Amino acid sequence: MTGQRLEDLLRPLAPQVLAALLRRYGQFDGCEDAVQEALLAAAVQWPREGVPDNPYGWLVTVATRRFTDWARSDAARRRREDAELLATPPSMFVAAPADHPPAGEHDDTLTLLFLCCHPSLSPASQVALTLRAVGGLGTAEIARAFLVPEPTMAQRISRAKQTIRKAGARFAPPPPGGRADRLRAVLHVLYLMFNEGYTTSSGDALQRPDLTAEALRLTRLLHRLLPDEPEVAGLLALMLLTEARRDARTRDDGSIVPLDEQDRGRWDRGLIAEGVELVTATLARTRELGPFQLQAAIAAVHDEAPSADETDWPQILALYELLERVAPNPMATLNKAVAVAMVRGAQAGLEIVDGLEADGRMARHHRLHAVRAHLLERAGRPQEARAAFRGAARLATNLPEQRYLRLRAAASGENQGLSGGSR
Amino acid sequence: MKYMIIIYGNQELWESFSAEEFQKEIAAQDAFNRRYAETGELLGAYGNADASQTKIVRVRDGVPAVTDGPYLETKEYMASWYLIDVESEERALEIAAEIPFASYRQVEVWPILHEAADSE
Repeated sequence: MTGQRLEDLLRPLAPQVLAALLRRYGQFDGCEDAVQEALLAAAVQWPREGVPDNPYGWLVTVATRRFTDWARSDAARRRREDAELLATPPSMFVAAPADHPPAGEHDDTLTLLFLCCHPSLSPASQVALTLRAVGGLGTAEIARAFLVPEPTMAQRISRAKQTIRKAGARFAPPPPGGRADRLRAVLHVLYLMFNEGYTTSSGDALQRPDLTAEALRLTRLLHRLLPDEPEVAGLLALMLLTEARRDARTRDDGSIVPLDEQDRGRWDRGLIAEGVELVTATLARTRELGPFQLQAAIAAVHDEAPSADETDWPQILALYELLERVAPNPMATLNKAVAVAMVRGAQAGLEIVDGLEADGRMARHHRLHAVRAHLLERAGRPQEARAAFRGAARLATNLPEQRYLRLRAAASGENQGLSGGSR
Repeated sequence: MKYMIIIYGNQELWESFSAEEFQKEIAAQDAFNRRYAETGELLGAYGNADASQTKIVRVRDGVPAVTDGPYLETKEYMASWYLIDVESEERALEIAAEIPFASYRQVEVWPILHEAADSE
């Protein structure tokens, strides 16, 4: 059995096994550690001895044994829980499922997601915990994904679990009144995870796990669990439509290719079709437009244009105007400025950028200066464009983006020399 | 977001500490390191060796030449640095203010370039 096949088998089982233990014992930190050990044991034993007939039952049994061993050794401190726990033979609850996890598996995974995205945690901790408890990734893999040492990540995960315990969070669905907020937190975590993996270099050399793929897998899972939640569908569509351009987004040396220069032949048609269908169906029946649905709709318009010149900018502009109304945010306004420039001319776009700069919130954001630079270039003002590109490069903290902006700054100077700024 | 926090100094500055003050500073520094290693925010704390141990490497026409230097006895040079990984710039500045040296002189906080897409 290959490592990949083993992972494909183990990782979807991870949250189900954890849920089984949590239902029984309720202690998130102890149960989670026990499941991690069971997953490790499986990774060692199954390739050697073959996959057991009931992988789920095997994992629950091993994790339960680890948990009870741990509880026994901790007996002095936890005598009462111990007695209760040892009085319950593990077979009582592994006997129920034959081949499959018990019904309610879906709700369990969802409850687990809500727990990992508990409001007492910082977004970074929510992401790390979700990767481990729901995604079934090991601490070492998560540490590699975030380019931090393994002991640092172990420390963060352990603190996150303590925080959840101290906050008194239980393995139960969120209260009805708080559900919408908690779902928004889950979507935000998946979105952050996707962005974290959205690196330009493939990262093979560092063997970073592919967080983009993991975010997609978990969002697909969430969409299966909650098919009627429009923002879940919207986020999934946005990820599919963004992921579709992955190969065209960078050159072999890792440098950025802007959207209008990408080789559209390298876009993934399958992902685009899936994303477009999903966002179209969702928008057709949604009663509440949300930011992910609208961003997905915008991505769909880009992805469906046969060439950059054939992009339906009036439609993109209309969608950005809607987005600004539904979820006012200076970044949405900045993106709208580009659409405005494409529909009404560079000067109209530049006026919006100026307004945003005066507003102050984005004055030191590199993207504001990058957008201004592009619009100045379109307006045939290369000298100013060059200064704006330079200013943007100085504010950028993303390495590929900074290199791209420096290159553009250098190139706008050259263009000026060669062609006097005409395009 | 990762940040590098830098302490600058020179021999004269180190020698200006009394033995007692020096002990106290070291204890405060160790306590800082422990505290933020435990929060999972401090990735590493490093002290550079003395400037007199520094070598300079130049490659010209493919040939490396190694010389002593850069003779910084009087000028201030990078003496120690910390790598932290935090939620926000605000948090980075908060931690930087906890470095004992910041109460004595000053520390610099530099953002480190990353590759993750900027989320909005």
